[in-house]
Amino acid sequence: MKLSKSFKIALNIILHSKLRSWLTIIGIVIGIAAVIAIVSIGQGAQRNLEQNLNSLNPNILTVSPGFSRATGAGGEFRNFGGESRGGSGGSTAKNLTVSDVTALKGVSNVLYVMGTVSGTVSQVSFLGKTSRASVEGVDPAVWKNFETTGLASGRYLSQGDVNVVVVGGGIANNVFSGMETNRQISIGGQNFRVVGILQQTGTGGGPGGGSDDNRIFMPIENAVTILEGKDKKTFDDITIKINDISITNETVTQITNILMMSHGILQASKQDFSVQSPTSIQQRVTSTLSSTSTFLTGIAIISLIVGAIGIMNTMFTSVLEKTREIGILKAIGAKDRDILTIFLLNAGIIGLIGGIFGIVLGIFASGYIAELSGTSLGGGGMGRMLSSAYVSPTLVIGIFILSVAVGLIAGAIPAYRASRLNPVDALRYE
Amino acid sequence: MTKSIIKLEDVWKRYNMGKAGGLTVLKEIDFDIKEGEFVAISGPSGSGKSTIMHLIGALDTPSYGDIYLKEENIKKIDKNSLAILRGKTIGFIFQQFNLLPTFSALENVMMPMELVNLPDNESRKRAEELLTQMGLSERMHHKPTELSGGQQQRVAIARALANDPEVIIADEPTGNLDSKTGFFVMDFLLKLNKEGKTIIMVTHEMELVKYASRVIYLKDGIVEKEVHKKQNIKSRGSLNKKYRRENF
Repeated sequence: MKLSKSFKIALNIILHSKLRSWLTIIGIVIGIAAVIAIVSIGQGAQRNLEQNLNSLNPNILTVSPGFSRATGAGGEFRNFGGESRGGSGGSTAKNLTVSDVTALKGVSNVLYVMGTVSGTVSQVSFLGKTSRASVEGVDPAVWKNFETTGLASGRYLSQGDVNVVVVGGGIANNVFSGMETNRQISIGGQNFRVVGILQQTGTGGGPGGGSDDNRIFMPIENAVTILEGKDKKTFDDITIKINDISITNETVTQITNILMMSHGILQASKQDFSVQSPTSIQQRVTSTLSSTSTFLTGIAIISLIVGAIGIMNTMFTSVLEKTREIGILKAIGAKDRDILTIFLLNAGIIGLIGGIFGIVLGIFASGYIAELSGTSLGGGGMGRMLSSAYVSPTLVIGIFILSVAVGLIAGAIPAYRASRLNPVDALRYE
Repeated sequence: MTKSIIKLEDVWKRYNMGKAGGLTVLKEIDFDIKEGEFVAISGPSGSGKSTIMHLIGALDTPSYGDIYLKEENIKKIDKNSLAILRGKTIGFIFQQFNLLPTFSALENVMMPMELVNLPDNESRKRAEELLTQMGLSERMHHKPTELSGGQQQRVAIARALANDPEVIIADEPTGNLDSKTGFFVMDFLLKLNKEGKTIIMVTHEMELVKYASRVIYLKDGIVEKEVHKKQNIKSRGSLNKKYRRENF
C-alpha cells in the first residue's frame, strides 16, 4: 500500500476518535511546551552568561567574604547574584576591612585596590518616577581605573566627590527617560547630582567588568548611609586590578597568603574569604547553570514520557477498537507491514500535531516565564539572566523531530501488535 | 481437464484451549475445487464450515495437512506473499458485510486495489464501474451506515470483485438480507460463475445449496458427504425461478 494511502487511513482513525486523540495530543503539547520553555530559557541564560563572561575584565580579581571548599570559591557574583552576599558557603561575615585593602596594596603585580559596598535600593526617584536599582559604593579616587564601560556623558567619580552619582546607561535610558548630567536624583530619600552617565551595553555584567547598565555608582561614604547595615570600614568586596595577567594564579596565591596573615588564619580550611579570578567565576557559573539546566530538562523529559505513555495508551485502545477493521483489511489483502505503517503513522501524526502546538505554546510560555523572571527577580543578576529566552531554529527543529519520534516510539508496540493480529481472530472480534 | 484452484490434503484444524486442552474442529479433510466450479459447503452449526472457509481463503493455516491455492502450499508461503496472493486471487463476501465504517462505498471498493498498489485513477475508475454495475452509482460517496443492508452487501460484492479475483468466497451471503436482495446476490453469484469465476459458498440454508454444482456436507469436523449435481449453469438458472417463486 502506498504511504499516502496509509497516511489517509491513519488520519481517518484520528478524525473518528477526536476526543481521545485531542486528549492524547494535549499530553504531548504539555510535554513539548515544557521542554521548549525550559531549554529556551536555559539557552537564553547561557547566551547572557556568555556575553557577560566575555566582557569580564581579565585584569580584575575580586576578594569576597566567606569560603566554600566545595566550589573553591565563595562570595558574591555580584552581577548575577544581585543582593546575595557572603558566598556559596552561606557566610554573611563582614570580614574585609580597610586594613586588608592596605595590606593588598603591597602585593607585587597589583595596580589598584578598592573596597566596595553594594545593595539594592527600592526607592530611587527621578522626575516623579520611582524604581529600584543596584547601588554600588566605591572609592571615587580609584574607581575610574576599574571601570571599563565608557561614558555617554559627563565624567567618572573623582577624589573628593560627595553626594554625586554616575548612573548606568540602562537606568538613564530605560528606567528613567530624559536623564541628563547635573540633574538631581533621589536615592533612598537622599538627593544626589548626576555627574556622569555610562554607555548602555545591554549585557548583564560581571565582577570587575561588564555591563553597569542597571547600577548607580556613588562614593562609599554616601553609599553606607543609604544601604542598610553597611559601614565604610567593612567591605562587601575588595576589587583588585593587576598588571600582568600571565601570572594571575601566582598573584591570587600571594593575595590569599597576605589575607590569611592579615586575618590570623593558619590553616587553609579555616579561610574566611575567597579570591576569584574571571576564570574561576566562569567555571563556577557554567557548572551551576549546567546542573540546573540538566535538572530542569530532566523534569521536562519526564513530562514528555508521561505524554508518550498517553500515546501508547491511546494506540492500544485504538488497536482494540479497530481490531475487526484490521481483520477486514487483512482479508482483502493488507500485509502486516501495511497495518504496521498505518498505526505508526497514526501515532506519528499525534506526535506531529502535539509537537506543532507544543512548540507554539512553549515559545509563548518561555517568553512569559522570562518576562516574569525579569520582573519578579528584579534588576538582580539572576532575574536579568533569566529574562530572555532564546528559541533557536535548531531547538525548534530538534523538538519537532523529537515529538514525532516520541509518537512513533510510543506507537511502535501497539502498531506491531496490530500488524501481528491473526486475520481470523480479528474478524471474529466483536 | 479443468485444473484445481484449491486443494485440501488431509487437513486438520485444532485450537489450543489452554488448560482446557485442545479442540479439534476439522479432521481428515480432503477435497479439491476446480476452476469455474460453484461449490457450496454446508452443514449444521459447529460443523466447521467457517473454519474451512478461513482455511480456503488463506486467512488461517491448518494445524496439520496441506492446502494448495493455485498450486502453492499456503503453509510454505511467507505472510506477505500470502497476503498478496489472497488479495489478488480471492474476493470475500461476508454475512456481516464487513465494510470499513469510516470510508465511503467508493473508498471501500478502491481499498483492495490500493493494497496491491494499483494507480489511484485506475482503481477509482474500476470502483465506479463496479458500483454502477451494482446499481449504486448514486450512493458511492455514502458511508456504510448511510446504506441499507442490501446496498452494503452490494458494496461488499463490488469490493470482492475489485481485483478481478479468480475465486469468490461467500460466507452466508444472504444471511442478513431480505429475500429480494438475497435473490439479487445469488443471481449475481451465478452470473459470476457463468463468467468463469470459482464460487465457494458457505451456508446452512438448504435453499441456497441448490445453486451449487457441488455440495460438501460437513458434520462434526469431517466431510460427511459430497454431492455432485448434474445441472449445468443454464438449468441451475431455473432454480432461480423456483427460488423466486418460493420467495415472492
